[in-house]
Amino acid sequence: MKTFKIYILAVSLLTAGACKKDFLDTEDVTTATEQNFYKTPEDGFKALVGCYDGLQQVYDNGIAFPVAAEVMSDNVFGGTGNSDGFGYQMMDEFEKLRSPADNNLFGDGWAAYYRAIFRCNMLISKMDQINWGANAGLRNTYEAEARFLRAYLYFDMVRLWGNIPLLIAPSRENIPQANPEDVYKVIAEDLKFAVANLPATAYTAQSPATYGRVTKWAAEALTGRVYLYYTGYYSKPDLAGVITKSEALGYLENIISNGGFGLVDNFANLWPVSGSSYAGEDNKETIFAIKYTYTSDFNGNTDGNHWMVMNGIRVQSIPPYGMGWGAATVNPKLWNAYSSTDTRKVASIISIADEGLNFTNKKDQREYTGYYTKKYTPLSVDSAGNANSVTNGKGIGSFQISQFQDYVAIRYSDVLLMAAELGSPSAQSYFDQVRQRAYKANFSSIPATQSNIMAERRLEFAFEGIRYWDLLRQGINVAASTIAESTTVQNGEVNTAKTISASKVIETKGLVQIPYPQITLSNGVLQQNAGW
Amino acid sequence: MKTTNKRKLVFLWAIFSWLFLGHVTYGQEIKVSGKVTGADDNLPIPGVSVNVKGKQKGTSTNVNGQFAITAQTGDILVFRALGYQLEERSIGNISVIDVSLKAEVNNLNEVVVIGYGVQKKKLTTGANLQVKGDDIEKQSSTNVLQALQGQTPGVQITTTSGQPGSGINVTIRGRGTIGYKDANGNQVNNNGPLYVVDGLMGVDITTINPADIESIDVLKDAASAAIYGSNSANGVVLITTKTGKQGKRTSVTFDAYTGTQQVARKADLLNAREYATIMNEAAINSGKPAIFTNAAIAELGEGTDWLDEMFVKNAATENYVLGVQGSSGASVYSTSLSYTGQEGVVGGKSLSNYDRYNFRINTEHNLYKDIIKFGQHLNFVYTKNNGIGVGNQYNNTLRGAFTTSPFLKMYDDAGNFFNNDISGVWNRGEANPYAEMVYNNQNRNNKQNLFGDIYASVSPIKGLTFRTSFGFKYESNEGRAFFPIYHLSQFSFRDKTSANQSMGKNRTLQFDNVLSYKFDLATENHFEVMAGSSSISTNESSMFGSNQNLIFADLEHAYLTNATGRDGSVINLTGSPKEFKQLSYFGRVQYNYKERYLFNTTLRADASSRFAKGHRWGYFPSFSAGWVATNESFFANTRNWLDFLKVRASWGQVGNQNIAPYQYLAPIQLTTTNYIFGTTEGVLTPGAFPKRLANEDIKWETSEQTNIGFDARFLNGKLNSSFDYYIKNTKDWLIAAPILNTAGADAPVINGGDVKNSGVELALNYSSKVGKFNYSVGANGAYNKNKVGNIPTADKIVHGDVNLLYVNALEFYRAENGYPIGYFRGYKTAGIFQTEADVAAYRSTSGKVIQPTAAPGDVRFVDRNDDGVISDADKTLIGDPNPHYTYGLNFSANYKGFDFYLLASGVAGNQIIQSWRNPSSSLGNYSAAILDRWHGPGSSNRMPRVTEDNRNFAQISDLYVQDGDFLRISNVTIGYDFTKLLNKSYLAKVRLYAAALNLFTFTKYDGMDPEIGYGEGFSSGVDVGYYPRPRTFMLGANIRF
Repeated sequence: MKTFKIYILAVSLLTAGACKKDFLDTEDVTTATEQNFYKTPEDGFKALVGCYDGLQQVYDNGIAFPVAAEVMSDNVFGGTGNSDGFGYQMMDEFEKLRSPADNNLFGDGWAAYYRAIFRCNMLISKMDQINWGANAGLRNTYEAEARFLRAYLYFDMVRLWGNIPLLIAPSRENIPQANPEDVYKVIAEDLKFAVANLPATAYTAQSPATYGRVTKWAAEALTGRVYLYYTGYYSKPDLAGVITKSEALGYLENIISNGGFGLVDNFANLWPVSGSSYAGEDNKETIFAIKYTYTSDFNGNTDGNHWMVMNGIRVQSIPPYGMGWGAATVNPKLWNAYSSTDTRKVASIISIADEGLNFTNKKDQREYTGYYTKKYTPLSVDSAGNANSVTNGKGIGSFQISQFQDYVAIRYSDVLLMAAELGSPSAQSYFDQVRQRAYKANFSSIPATQSNIMAERRLEFAFEGIRYWDLLRQGINVAASTIAESTTVQNGEVNTAKTISASKVIETKGLVQIPYPQITLSNGVLQQNAGW
Repeated sequence: MKTTNKRKLVFLWAIFSWLFLGHVTYGQEIKVSGKVTGADDNLPIPGVSVNVKGKQKGTSTNVNGQFAITAQTGDILVFRALGYQLEERSIGNISVIDVSLKAEVNNLNEVVVIGYGVQKKKLTTGANLQVKGDDIEKQSSTNVLQALQGQTPGVQITTTSGQPGSGINVTIRGRGTIGYKDANGNQVNNNGPLYVVDGLMGVDITTINPADIESIDVLKDAASAAIYGSNSANGVVLITTKTGKQGKRTSVTFDAYTGTQQVARKADLLNAREYATIMNEAAINSGKPAIFTNAAIAELGEGTDWLDEMFVKNAATENYVLGVQGSSGASVYSTSLSYTGQEGVVGGKSLSNYDRYNFRINTEHNLYKDIIKFGQHLNFVYTKNNGIGVGNQYNNTLRGAFTTSPFLKMYDDAGNFFNNDISGVWNRGEANPYAEMVYNNQNRNNKQNLFGDIYASVSPIKGLTFRTSFGFKYESNEGRAFFPIYHLSQFSFRDKTSANQSMGKNRTLQFDNVLSYKFDLATENHFEVMAGSSSISTNESSMFGSNQNLIFADLEHAYLTNATGRDGSVINLTGSPKEFKQLSYFGRVQYNYKERYLFNTTLRADASSRFAKGHRWGYFPSFSAGWVATNESFFANTRNWLDFLKVRASWGQVGNQNIAPYQYLAPIQLTTTNYIFGTTEGVLTPGAFPKRLANEDIKWETSEQTNIGFDARFLNGKLNSSFDYYIKNTKDWLIAAPILNTAGADAPVINGGDVKNSGVELALNYSSKVGKFNYSVGANGAYNKNKVGNIPTADKIVHGDVNLLYVNALEFYRAENGYPIGYFRGYKTAGIFQTEADVAAYRSTSGKVIQPTAAPGDVRFVDRNDDGVISDADKTLIGDPNPHYTYGLNFSANYKGFDFYLLASGVAGNQIIQSWRNPSSSLGNYSAAILDRWHGPGSSNRMPRVTEDNRNFAQISDLYVQDGDFLRISNVTIGYDFTKLLNKSYLAKVRLYAAALNLFTFTKYDGMDPEIGYGEGFSSGVDVGYYPRPRTFMLGANIRF
């Protein structure tokens, strides 16, 4: 009997765990999940900020779009350190054999763009799940911003790679590359939605705390840029059947009439290197900027301008310039293209000789030309001459990732020149405004012809990631012959021939390599671009 | 009770009648008495049976080991005790016979621990092995696992670095899985075994002092490990700590050693003259004039030897253990108090140090006549440590010493660390690596671990036992770091002081209930059945904070309260909980027929909170069988040379669930997701996004293993052998398999990919004696082959990380179908171009010059696909980090009071990838291997010429790979036992010894230590500046009262 009781006890102890059905249920109390998020307008805003963060991160790793666009253009060479790999040369010369092992040169960017697009797609697909309540108006605003960001991302991508998988909703499927026209259709429709749903608040009326948010003006300006590129590069009469030329021009005219923007008086003051006279970020000429700050660290915070360090003078700080990796060395032809009376010349380019800079690290610089980018270059603010305290005494951050100069994606002068190019009745006035600012007292009017406008755009937008696309939209042959180069540069102080052949530009159609690891991972569903 | 007494009376009466009434006796009756003690500890042995040979006459020793028996002259007394060798003494005229019994080695009646029970060694049917505490203690190692090295065939043990307290990697029968990256991008490796200490699962093994260990049992095959189900895919290590023995007198032990450690082999780097010569040559080879004149070089001297600066000459190590064990009444106890300290050979005590204090008490109380027992294990461990960076190229303190030029000075004229940015003349980018070590590694960490259990067992009827135990583990930890202001170069500086502080705690409760029953059917069929349940619940929470601008700028004051930073962007605060639960049921049936035919089967069912509902339960069966051939009558005629032969076979499935919780959900990332709106720098608006894709379907990783082996004893037990052949298939890996970027989020953890490990293991041991010279020779070896399959991606590859070997390095390791895990991938080289003609002649089949830009002295890469271009498609296997062979050798001997011990271990068939230098910098120092470079036709066909752009090293090729074979003399000990000389009754043992650890290593590898346990991601065998294991010379003592 006693034994029997022990058996009962034993069996009940053995099965003790089974009594509690919820024993195995645990909850992660510090992490929201896709199931319990996207409920309130606040969640919606957070998710929207996540989309902006996604945009901000696309240039963080690998070769950033603004750097790539300049290297591939006729403005700069690949540069970088004399012991580095030849990826930048491969990109600069459109020549796979320059660095045959580089099969993932744009892999980081490709991944970052799709991560950002995923965030936008996810938010857009969750709009109905959010209980907007009394804030119904926010829904359209948030959707408009998310769709603008998606359009911005796809426009970068479709220009770089040409042939990309198109997702307008989150998907894990193995998706083949879309016809570019379909991508542009999505871009155009997204922008059109943004233009229609964002308030027409003039820059002058905008709360400074919201600078950086997508505006109606940004959507209109980007539409103009997309229109010009698509109709030019693909020789099409309109923007994928969504936006006509007159609509595009109408958008731009609307910005000029109602946007409240204007040109900063001195061109040089657009750039932080102008020091105390710097017009500052989010000035009246900024239509849209990707904003950066100095809080990047190596623990997951990526809020800084991670790409500007590439442009810096090769590992030597020469006040006021900070050090960088010496990529994108400026082609002397660009320096010579500016007339001496053009204030943009010295505002845009660092000339080692003309500024009397004691650059002693040529031995470590590849494709040295004597000129560096000035608009986007690290600065040294430390009076001791150390190029490191990018955060102005906060003592945090690395010069590589904590640069905080915003990338001004669209300036008002671009709106003026695009409107002029699209045949605005005020074309000559717009064109003159831009040139007057540049030449100041030495200004003399020239006609606003297509070729004059294109020449002016080269000088106005050097190093802003615009020139290359301006070349391509004039046709691949024009681009190829302009980019083709045969000259001499110094690699580690040794004179070296530098050749970019037009045929390579034509062969690749100016597109970059699709990341090979993605092609293999797709089991061949993704196709490599010609020439790569 | 009454019956027993009656029986005793009857028995005594029978003896008396036989003695005095019926028997005719020869010889002379003599009363013999004496004392039986253990040969190794001189402690009395109670319960030894003392019989007169050939006669049914006998007695047994009392608690003090004493006996008294009457016998006749000429009789032989036989002394028998479990665990001791049989001893016979003939009776002369002496009436006092003291006997010293030797412990039985390799006794097949020994029991081994098998998980929720024990089993006679001769009846085991799986592949498990036992290492005795004595053999662990002999190693004089601070770490239990380190002490297993070389003693356990099929178990590969490496340390992630030679830093005291460093993590230990234990790989049983080859790597079974590749792990995955967690939400923060940190690699989670889950290929280590399960550690069970006195039944408590998942104990941090580094907290145990080797001196506390009674035995370690390693369950290698799935059939043995399956009783631990989902936690045992990579094998199980069972540790039993010392307990008192019933009837044994109290013994007090004191063990101590103290030693000094040095770097065993220092890497050879260029001195200033050699460095200048190479820099000159690189400049000339790059089309530039020489930098230094010969006269200038001659004046340079040696320059700074940075490795010398980093290493300390005499780093101390010490260990003291005071133990008391014994029994009292119905209770047995064992308790110990110990201290272990080890200083690091890099940087010395203030930068690299480990201190551990252990307190342990184990007791068991017989509450009621062997029917109800109750006891507990309790361990308290306090660990303090601090250390330098031993991680990747960016977090490896030693690496700086390899790359910094010998031109750089240690101190400036004022005696401060040299600031190269202000007064540097050669390379202002390089910083004093010793100063960097001092500035960046000021940290102190400590943790307290309390673990143990309380258990009770009830045996109401013979053979039936119910055991319940309530186990717990508690850990609290704390860490602090201080970062001072400094300026050493234009890249190496800090402008603000800052401090980190972290705290965490973790508690686990484990409730086990086991019912077991032993019974015989028809006397020859012996059964042992067991059924049980186990539930585990873990709760964890941790906090971390960092801030800037300390009021007092030193480590002592590095607490967050002293940090005055008020800028949100410089303050980092996190805190989060973690929870895990597991519920398990298990059972086992062991059967044998006459101990001749053996059969064992187990089944375990586990449910884990790590998986989504509906995928939580996993079932892990095993079967094994054995045949003790020598128990068959037809083997009778082999007994003169073959004592024992058992053939065994097993099959089983075990699981792995070792992933972070909630991997099945799609988390929304809310941290580090910010954007700056407005014009004020540093003010961020927080955002959110879905970080990872969900996968509700994830389930257990499964390892299936088949094992065939035999155990045999020859020559009267002198030669022991054990052999195993196994095939281990680990499938449904828990991995984050790469997904297409278009998916837009991190890859979910999925089940996919598998690896087959197959191999053989052999262990041999021969012990014998020549007169008073006893010796024992052991050798063990294992062969393993590792091959990956079924990677669930289109390209059948899980890619390795980039940027590991050097700055901007491309991928160099992978898990790929048909290859070993983490194989090294790169270009094969085929010598050096000696002349321009060589370059021109190196063509593809179609006539294309393969390396048109190469110059004489450049390396010739193999164009494997013969397309005339060296491209990614030409990369192939250039090395395998997984050893094909692991082996160990040991020799021990004693002669009178002297003892000698030697242990050696090694591996063969693996490669090491070594990268001490960044090819993206032309100015980094070289290892002396560069002195064999090409510098003219015929000067070298292996090491290419030097150039400023390092073109021959910019791609990962077999130039980076070396063979990792080595044989290490890991322990040599000589001791002498003074007990007999001192001859004091209260002294059971007084042994002094001298030992050398890591005495010498035979290897062709040119690094400081070929035994590289470091690897990032799922790579292994990666030397980016490895903290070498020290060589230790020590003196020690073992004293027993």
